[in-house]
Amino acid sequence: MVHKFNGGVHPLSHKDRTRGLAIEVLAPNGVLAVPVSQHIGAPAKPIVAKGDAVLRGQKIGDAQGAVSAPIHAPTSGTVVNIAPINGQFGRPVMAIHIEADGLDAWAEGCNIERDPDALSPKELLDIVREAGIVGMGGATFPTAFKLTPPPSKPIDAVLLNGIECEPYLTGDHRLMLEQGEQVLGGFRLIRRILGAKIAIIGIEANKMDAVAAMRKIVGSEDIEVAVLPVKYPQGAEKQLIKALLNREVPSGGLPMDCGVVVQNCATAAAVWQAAAKNIPMIERITTITGDAVRRPGNYQVRIGTPFEQLLASSRITSEANKLVLGGPMMGLAQQTSELVVTKGTGGILILEHAESFEGGPCIRCGRCVEGCPSGLVPSALSVLGENLKFDEAADFNVADCIECGVCTFVCPSRRPIVHYIRFIKDELRRQAVREREAAG
Amino acid sequence: MSSESKEYRHLDKLLVSSSPHIRSPESTSRIMWTVVCTLIPAAGVGVVVFGWRALIVLMLSTGAAIGCEYLIQRLRKVPITIRDGSAVVTGLLVGMVLPPTVQWYVPVVGSVVAIGIAKHLFGGLGGNIWNPALIGRAFVHVTFAEQMNSGWHLLKPSRLFVGDVMKVAGENVDAVSRATPMTLIHQTVTGGEPEGINSLSEVLSVSQSGSGPFMPDPAHALLGYMNGCIGEVSVIALLLGGLFLIWRGYVKWYVPALYIATVAVLAALLPVTMHVNEMGLGDRWIVPMFSEGTGQATLAVGATYVSYHLICGGLMLGALFMATDMVTSPITRKGLIIFAVGCGVLTVLLRTYGGYPEGVCFSILLMNTAVPVIDRLCKPRVYGTGKAVAGKGGK
Repeated sequence: MVHKFNGGVHPLSHKDRTRGLAIEVLAPNGVLAVPVSQHIGAPAKPIVAKGDAVLRGQKIGDAQGAVSAPIHAPTSGTVVNIAPINGQFGRPVMAIHIEADGLDAWAEGCNIERDPDALSPKELLDIVREAGIVGMGGATFPTAFKLTPPPSKPIDAVLLNGIECEPYLTGDHRLMLEQGEQVLGGFRLIRRILGAKIAIIGIEANKMDAVAAMRKIVGSEDIEVAVLPVKYPQGAEKQLIKALLNREVPSGGLPMDCGVVVQNCATAAAVWQAAAKNIPMIERITTITGDAVRRPGNYQVRIGTPFEQLLASSRITSEANKLVLGGPMMGLAQQTSELVVTKGTGGILILEHAESFEGGPCIRCGRCVEGCPSGLVPSALSVLGENLKFDEAADFNVADCIECGVCTFVCPSRRPIVHYIRFIKDELRRQAVREREAAG
Repeated sequence: MSSESKEYRHLDKLLVSSSPHIRSPESTSRIMWTVVCTLIPAAGVGVVVFGWRALIVLMLSTGAAIGCEYLIQRLRKVPITIRDGSAVVTGLLVGMVLPPTVQWYVPVVGSVVAIGIAKHLFGGLGGNIWNPALIGRAFVHVTFAEQMNSGWHLLKPSRLFVGDVMKVAGENVDAVSRATPMTLIHQTVTGGEPEGINSLSEVLSVSQSGSGPFMPDPAHALLGYMNGCIGEVSVIALLLGGLFLIWRGYVKWYVPALYIATVAVLAALLPVTMHVNEMGLGDRWIVPMFSEGTGQATLAVGATYVSYHLICGGLMLGALFMATDMVTSPITRKGLIIFAVGCGVLTVLLRTYGGYPEGVCFSILLMNTAVPVIDRLCKPRVYGTGKAVAGKGGK
């Protein structure tokens, strides 16, 4: 039984460009640069030095603390440098540069055959942690940490996020079609780690072939494959929980507060790879697409691969003027294409004739209020932000904004509402830091 | 569009902005110009029924609105926004709520007050609390009271559009002069004229000939052949425009529906006074819906009375186009419901117990005043708060 979440919008999906394109495996070559920070939390600490030889899957950076993740060599070769590269947040990030030797040889102990069902939940957790797995839906939260909720928060339901509600992106779709066994295998392991009674796979109705594929693989097992109506942001964690379980994550809380854990399908596949074959997170599926891309595609590509290798064969038009990491609703616009694929790079979107919008006055049409999945009044927040009224914005629940972009998408005045909201949140964060420091 | 493909491309000179990076095709000017188009049918009927003078009034009001906005923005040295169509909407509405016989300066003053004072003094588009067209109308209602309360002329059927609606006497009479249906009802239910009317059914069947007031034939009323302001007479034309706006999503269906339904219910049930006889003895209170008893034929009288409330007096224009103005109405669903019902209540109260036969204009303005408070009190429920999180739900 599928429920509705409030609000939402229906942007054009543009998924026809790539939904039918089978995953192309891109072989590693040249210099791959693995950033030490590709996840939420503390960056990894390099444990190799310039000149070291490394093998595919070998650990090259240690996790620092509980909310962190190790990094691994995506192919065999030599460490040619440890130096900063362009990061996705506009700041440089330290990276380990590895020149591929063309052999792609596995490190010892990697790519073995192992029965994941024989592993205990604790062993599975250690494997997930050691494999450097982070949330691959874009948030890049360290998965081992997410799968270790405190005992006071028992988990009775685990959801697999196969929604991929962002326009243009089709990586998860192809993954479920072509590697569905691994996705389901990983989901089973996650369920076992958490001891969850209820297990549901959620897939949006624009991927009925993936629904059929997953249903076939699930067979008669006690896992529901639920079809959800196409509405953005159906794949947002909170909205998915509402739709599949009719529960709401308490304001300011996390899904575990209502007994739920949500995992992206690609993360589940990575968990299976680590458990069954001891392969750490060294590659992912990325969709490169956009109206400026004449030859889009879904690629299985090693972490650290420079974008230019993907762009080279994608036939970018000369009017391309925007590069977004992720989807068009929540992705991060970039200043340069000189970046590398990281654990969170689900989509590379290249747009042409992109406009910058000045934004006019709010005409109070109410479309943003109708569309907001969090039940906020985005127009009020945008006006408060415009007028620097930060404390009043806190009263308007600005902290509950998930920055999904629905409000800004629908605004007829083209107001940059999400931008105002980020501005407000940033200022409130600074205020909180100032207050903490003043309190000593 | 050139589709150069290159083997390798290094992209820089990239546009960097906050997400989202796509927008729906909706825009303020698209909304405004669509509203203009949906007003044209009703304005058109008005021009047909009231003649070329009505066209001049509309052109003056619209032109003055555009000109006023242009001048003010020039003087303030801010970007000129007349192309977004919002001034055209206001100007057209000002003209549509005027009688067809007003002097040229009435629509001009109405528009200048609407645009200059009600809109730009509050900061321009989006900043005003009160519906600008209604402020303009309220101003001229009071300032040019005589012109606004008389001159209810109607072209004869043989002289539609081409006739001069001012020619009601002498040779080549083009038009007839009557009080509006709303005036007649208002006078009756507030215990005034006309004399010799002892029941609602008598009021409603007042003859259409002669020089006295008359209730229009229902078919005529729906099409628009009746007295009133230029743009308020044709229910069908207004409905066509309004339904289109609802279909496009620019108007929420429940706002005009609740407004009209509230007026219907209250007009049926709110007691009104009737003179009993010429001597004014024994004024009695009647409930319009049941004034003739509760038999089927007699309920019809009440229903006819209610339907005149809905068709006349600018209710359709107000419910579909004024109460639904985005800027001056609440922004949440709960708020809009309260707003619509409030407008309905005030309209009937003003019409039935107030001094003017007019209720729509002032009731909407009064509710506009309440909108900031309504918005404050009617915020939607935030996800993750309230009853939804009390239990763990289930599956």
